Amino acid sequence: MKDKMQVDRNRYKSSIENLHQIFADISATVNEVSSWRCPYKNVKDLCTAKFGCRNQVSSVKVDLPICTGSDNLNYRSAWETA
Amino acid sequence: MPIVNEGIEQELQYVTKPFELDHIKGLFENTDPLMQEIAYALIKGDQHLVDSLTKQALGEGFGANTVLDDGLIAGMAIVGVKFRDNIIFVPEVLVAARAMKAGMAHIEPILSESGIEPVGTVIMGTVKGDLHDIGKNLCIMMLRGSGFVVHDLGVDTKPDDFIEAVAEKNAQVLGMSALLTTTMPNMGKVIDAFEESGMREMVKIMVGGAPVTQEFADDMGADGYGKDAIACVDKAKELIGVIQ
Repeated sequence: MKDKMQVDRNRYKSSIENLHQIFADISATVNEVSSWRCPYKNVKDLCTAKFGCRNQVSSVKVDLPICTGSDNLNYRSAWETA
Repeated sequence: MPIVNEGIEQELQYVTKPFELDHIKGLFENTDPLMQEIAYALIKGDQHLVDSLTKQALGEGFGANTVLDDGLIAGMAIVGVKFRDNIIFVPEVLVAARAMKAGMAHIEPILSESGIEPVGTVIMGTVKGDLHDIGKNLCIMMLRGSGFVVHDLGVDTKPDDFIEAVAEKNAQVLGMSALLTTTMPNMGKVIDAFEESGMREMVKIMVGGAPVTQEFADDMGADGYGKDAIACVDKAKELIGVIQ
């Protein structure tokens, strides 16, 4: 056994605090990034949304629709609400 | 011991601030290659690999603390830096969070055996008629990262499904999300359904979503409102009495 299976409570508490801080930073960044880029648009400019959007263009070459939205325009007006 | 995982070495190129690079290198130096492998799988969002490697590590005798710190959290630290610097975006962060959950599934029973209980249990879902889930998913990520157990009902969730889930999981908190002004009233319908079922007093209900306001939450009879994922965690803790 490389180290004991018992969990060190204090170390775990510290781990959760570290993780919370990482996620809090991510959450703050989300608010900033979402002001200029659709949050459903991934790094390959593919759309991960489960709903329709006028910026989606389906392609047989990839599993997800391509996002043609400009990061300079408000993306929310393209989201289909039905 | 130097960093031996080539993937992690390559990922470090994205950490450009010297003090951050020192800190993150420090997370990986002197860690076992298997922990570095877990971290790299998490960064890449490979939930199946994180699942199998975490199981393997615990089976080989690595402690839950070690796997959590040196594998999962160390990997998530790089994800956070890459996201902040626009190397990756929200979908990639959520995929990494899903991979983290796969690893945590093996760690949580060990925590429980050690007497470390979750902060609380939360049911989360987007209301009927609404398919928008990014905000909800970020809240779930934050809640899990703060020690809550979260059951995700997904999108387009019917009132009865919320009621069933709260009863089945004995949840203290229910979180509902809506992005559309047309679906916001469905939050009120869920609260009414809880009233009608006689279960309203069993659960604290919090709501959120871009068009939702504190005033709307109050009018609907919700117990709390969170304007973003950070506020969601604070509100959940407040509602169950963990913080005032």
